Amino acid sequence: MKKIIWFALAVVLIGIIIGIFMWLYAFRKADISVASKKADIEIRATDLLKNFSDNEEVANKTYLDKIVLVSGLIDKITEDSTSVSIYLKNPQDMAGVMCGFDKSAIDKSALKSGDEIRIKGICTGYLMDVVLNKCAVEK
Amino acid sequence: MKSKFLLLAFLAVVQLANAQKYIAKTGHIWFYSHTPMEEIEAHNKQVVSILDVSTGDIIFNLLNKSFEFKVALMQEHFNENYMESTKFPKSTFKGKITNLDKIDFKKDGTYTAEVTGDMTIHGVTKNITTVGTIEIANGVIAAKAKFKVIPKDYGIQIPQLVENKIAKEMEITVDIPYSAN
Repeated sequence: MKKIIWFALAVVLIGIIIGIFMWLYAFRKADISVASKKADIEIRATDLLKNFSDNEEVANKTYLDKIVLVSGLIDKITEDSTSVSIYLKNPQDMAGVMCGFDKSAIDKSALKSGDEIRIKGICTGYLMDVVLNKCAVEK
Repeated sequence: MKSKFLLLAFLAVVQLANAQKYIAKTGHIWFYSHTPMEEIEAHNKQVVSILDVSTGDIIFNLLNKSFEFKVALMQEHFNENYMESTKFPKSTFKGKITNLDKIDFKKDGTYTAEVTGDMTIHGVTKNITTVGTIEIANGVIAAKAKFKVIPKDYGIQIPQLVENKIAKEMEITVDIPYSAN
């Protein structure tokens, strides 16, 4: 009899633990940046852009949802109430890489146009530029 | 000599045409779904839009994967189950402002803009007409609109299991500040 009670208790306990894990999984917060994650691919911004403009379909397969670490020159920094965008582009180019940051994930005080920078973000695709979001500046 | 002059004139016209175009690369579009069970909201701040004030042509392009949700799992479901974002990475709108004569882009103010055109979501294109506003403040143009989209119209199936968590109509809000090209 005692054995059954212990067994039942163990089952309930395991159930509760599984429940907590499932709950944590389902309601986990979306990360606002990829700062703590390792990059899948490292590439120059100009090469990333070229890969997309040459063949978007192939590039989508290679880069979509991947954490990409791009290096390039800052063309422009813009912001609104909750986000910051850093546009990487060479002065002579028509397009570049648009990197979106959550405002709390970046300190842009030391950054300015023309700086060389390394940015890590998730590639979401190609419009006029290649787009990365949830970005973090790589030190 | 004459051909050179023609070329110059042509270039000048092209320049002029260019000057009529406004562009936005960090436009903001978000959607909101409300049911008594759940509220869902997702923001996309990387919307590309081009507005040609001489013809009224207006386009919006966005990447579905650029929508950010508060909860990670919702974002996964949105991309994988509903939008099929790997198969259909983009949502687009290509249309025209039909009451262009009522908007003076050179004068500050808030103007009502009637817009009609083709919206493509999830690989399905539908003609829509809606009313938005063009706001001009200190010469800076912003386009705003709020309208409803029914996922079912675009072939997006919502399983019965989550039917009461996801609204039948999504409220879409558009807020695009342009800069001169």
